[in-house]
Amino acid sequence: MGIYDVKGESDAALVERVLAGETDAYAGLVARYRDRLGRYAVRMLGNVADAEEALQDAFVRGYRSLARCTDADRFGAWLFGILVNRCRTLGKQRARRHNLVVFDEPAVAKAAVAHSADRDATREAIEWAVAQISATNREAFLLKYVEELSYDEMTVITGASVSALKMRVARAREDLRRLLAEVERD
Amino acid sequence: MTEGNGWLDRAIEALKEPVQFGDAFDRHVMAEIEAGPGPRAWSSRFWTILDWLRRGRPVSVSPLGGLALAAGIALVALLGQDMLEPEVQGAPVAATVDGSVVQFVIVEPAATAVSLVGDFNDWSAAANPMQRVEGNGVWSVTIPLTAGRYRYAFLVNGSIWLSDPSAPPTLDDEFGRPGSVVTIGES
Repeated sequence: MGIYDVKGESDAALVERVLAGETDAYAGLVARYRDRLGRYAVRMLGNVADAEEALQDAFVRGYRSLARCTDADRFGAWLFGILVNRCRTLGKQRARRHNLVVFDEPAVAKAAVAHSADRDATREAIEWAVAQISATNREAFLLKYVEELSYDEMTVITGASVSALKMRVARAREDLRRLLAEVERD
Repeated sequence: MTEGNGWLDRAIEALKEPVQFGDAFDRHVMAEIEAGPGPRAWSSRFWTILDWLRRGRPVSVSPLGGLALAAGIALVALLGQDMLEPEVQGAPVAATVDGSVVQFVIVEPAATAVSLVGDFNDWSAAANPMQRVEGNGVWSVTIPLTAGRYRYAFLVNGSIWLSDPSAPPTLDDEFGRPGSVVTIGES
């Protein structure tokens, strides 16, 4: 699993130092996982501001609950679990507040895809399509294909069964294929 | 774009493009951490047990076992209404006795020990052991709680983690494992 594949002082050593009172050591863990986990949050929530809020919240909760990280060598996966749940919570709050899917103005984005010659139409279409699928299916798709987690790892992080996760990934793929085909036809 | 699986490869490639938050983000995180409390020194043994309980595992229930489970849930509702004072029903399920004391109840006839664990006792298995109500498999504990929202669960025989079947679930646990929630209003 890529998120454990890091150089320098091990996660376990950093966690041990933090728990011993060296708060600054946590900065090493933040720097190590910030961009990787941040990418997931951005793709999941659809904008950088919300992603930053979820990510910061996850890091702070991770710090305050660090004694609960019973396998410090797997700190990255443990923190990923916290982030996934923060994204779920924030996504629901945003959806309720705006009564919209979490991505900003998907219709505008779709129009931009169709009409802006200057933008990368393929990339925009993909972002728009990802925003349209359900949060549950989007979560499974991102964890599987973008973060390249195994189903067993996804089970630990999401609490869902392997069979449920496979179904979500399959549905996400089908929805994405259909949505991208629609963009292509427009 | 969507013929074959090339569309999927292109989508994954686009979604894998790096996102960078920069050093300012790190400073914000560390500032918030340094302004707040440090890591809570909970018992690592307890969290090891909890971690084990959180892992998914196959569960098979025989038709007879399913009926027994359904009967148990129904019994909770009946006992909550007819046998137990104060009552345990609805949301928040646990009853308020005098505005600050709350009784928690679960039906576990086969249990040898049941503990109430929750936000209010740092999820300590030792803090609030439940007492068996003689003869009917009901376990009960009464604790003082100030106004607020609390997550909780029952720890049966020191190893089985149960949410309260008659209470509203909470889904905002950091690890995605639903528990139950009780909200105590201002008296």
